[in-house]
Amino acid sequence: MSTRLYSPIILRLARYAMLPMLAIGMVSIAMAADYPEPGDFASGSRVWAENCNRCHNVRDPRDLRDDQWITAMFHMRIRAGLTGRETRDILTFLQASNTVIAADSKLTALATEQATESTYSGAEIYAQTCVACHGADGTGALPGVPNFSHADGPLGKSNEILHQNILLGYQSPGSPMAMPPKGGNPALTRADIDLVLQYLREEFAQE
Amino acid sequence: MFSVLKRIRQVYLVLSAGLLLPNVLLADANYDALQAQVENLSAQLEEVQKILARSEQGQAEQASARTEEIAALKKDIDVAAEWRTPNSLIHLAGYTDVGYVNGDNDDGSFNVGMFSPIFHFQYRDIVLFESELEFELSPDGETEIGLEYLTLDYFLNDYVTLVGGLFLSPIGQFRQNLHPSWINKLPSAPPGFGHDGAAPTSDVGLQLRGAFPLGGMRSNYAVYVGNGPELNSVFEDGEFELEGIEAEGFGADRDGEKVFGGRFAILPVSSLEIGVSGATGKATVTGLEDEDTGDISEIEGETARDYDVIGADFTWTRKDLSIRGEYVQSKIGETATGLTASEGGEWTSWYTQAAWRFPSTKIEAVLRYTDFDSPHASHDRQQWVLGLNYLITNNFIAKGAYEFNDGIEGSIANSDRLILQLAYGF
Repeated sequence: MSTRLYSPIILRLARYAMLPMLAIGMVSIAMAADYPEPGDFASGSRVWAENCNRCHNVRDPRDLRDDQWITAMFHMRIRAGLTGRETRDILTFLQASNTVIAADSKLTALATEQATESTYSGAEIYAQTCVACHGADGTGALPGVPNFSHADGPLGKSNEILHQNILLGYQSPGSPMAMPPKGGNPALTRADIDLVLQYLREEFAQE
Repeated sequence: MFSVLKRIRQVYLVLSAGLLLPNVLLADANYDALQAQVENLSAQLEEVQKILARSEQGQAEQASARTEEIAALKKDIDVAAEWRTPNSLIHLAGYTDVGYVNGDNDDGSFNVGMFSPIFHFQYRDIVLFESELEFELSPDGETEIGLEYLTLDYFLNDYVTLVGGLFLSPIGQFRQNLHPSWINKLPSAPPGFGHDGAAPTSDVGLQLRGAFPLGGMRSNYAVYVGNGPELNSVFEDGEFELEGIEAEGFGADRDGEKVFGGRFAILPVSSLEIGVSGATGKATVTGLEDEDTGDISEIEGETARDYDVIGADFTWTRKDLSIRGEYVQSKIGETATGLTASEGGEWTSWYTQAAWRFPSTKIEAVLRYTDFDSPHASHDRQQWVLGLNYLITNNFIAKGAYEFNDGIEGSIANSDRLILQLAYGF
């Protein structure tokens, strides 16, 4: 005599739950977003930091080109259980963060010359661009990210050096992944960098 | 009178000539100077005209060069834009590893663990074809090729994707997310979560999967219907008994019995994921294993048995620390009819693993415990693994681990092992 080993009612319900879900999915096809719909950078950096490290070491945004990240992210949407919006947000963050800026390039000079006033506070800039990796308390949200509150941490350097590190990107000793230029946020201006540096020193620096 | 006038005229002429002569001589000298000056100015004018002509020609050439440069730059930008968002995308990913294994009962061997290229072909945000091959070098030097998965993924909307083909089993997390060597923090799979273990590895069928927000939490799900596994039986000690569950995805459903299953997970906070999974259906003995040689011969017409799987898993990460665990149990029911009629069986395995990255270094320590039970005592084992990794990069990792295996004395399940591995994900 064969035996039913687990609750037959629950398992049968699970079987037939697939059919209405399939119907919902087919009906909703018209809702598919246009391609490529830009995502939100700040949300993308947060979702990236919260999700990718759950299964594997986070990949350096510079590991892939923009087009390669599209396919990689759609693959990860399925594998990691991401919504379409989360996928687009992360994609926007990665595509903005894989840019390599040469220290002597004219673009860098232009960016450096941007001394206009910032429309954000240092705390807002940190929350939008930095918090995903460095954490709300500045101790580092991801493995390998340096701790701002350590006396021998990054804040022991001069503002000039830190400004340059943020502008061009920087790989901390012991970290297998580099911080992208401008923390991955191409909209960051010189004034923004100055403000966020001031915020870092006020919030995390040890006397 | 006339003669006087004549004389006066002569005197006048003589005087005039006398007065004019020096002027004439002086005029000749000025003329020469003026002529030289004019000639000099003319030469300078000519030089200026030449310089002007050269300048105009240079400007024209520069303007032309700038136009060409702009055109070339524009072309480069256009090409770059084509790379950025074409309708059709092709991407090659995958992973590979090489290593060394030395067990209690062998002399140690270098090995090529696996070469697993993953092919991605995508059309806009509508469909993604992905397939992973497995190339493996067997101990006798033969190259074995397998198809790990092959799916067409149809993105129906932001929350639902239809997946069809040979897919990794969504039961638990290890098979679908953690088994690639550059992801697995230890160089071996937990007993029961590899091939022929307690956890199903893959299936052929249809799957709906995706994610959606659940209040303030996130959640993800997968539900599937597939051909299901097949069973092997062996004749031992005068009776048939189940040898194992073949749950690696079959291209045909030889018993006509489908398996339904899925997984649902919630993330109450971003650092914690908790999942439950299960599957149910029928499975039939289709292979008869020779007790002495291990060869398997096909068999038909056996009675379908109940097949049920339950699983649970969790992952918690915080900064440099990650802790995860997983439980899976596969049950096969008994049958009293057919050639291979026998009792049922249970395959159960669970593991928990902690990994900690030394702050501001590339060194990671890993500890894992696994308990695997099956209907065959010679397969059962409890295993501790201690590992130390060096992250050369985040996707190129040097791993060293020592397995402490506790099984039946004399069996391979009781052999401790040292494993070294270099794993690269690309």
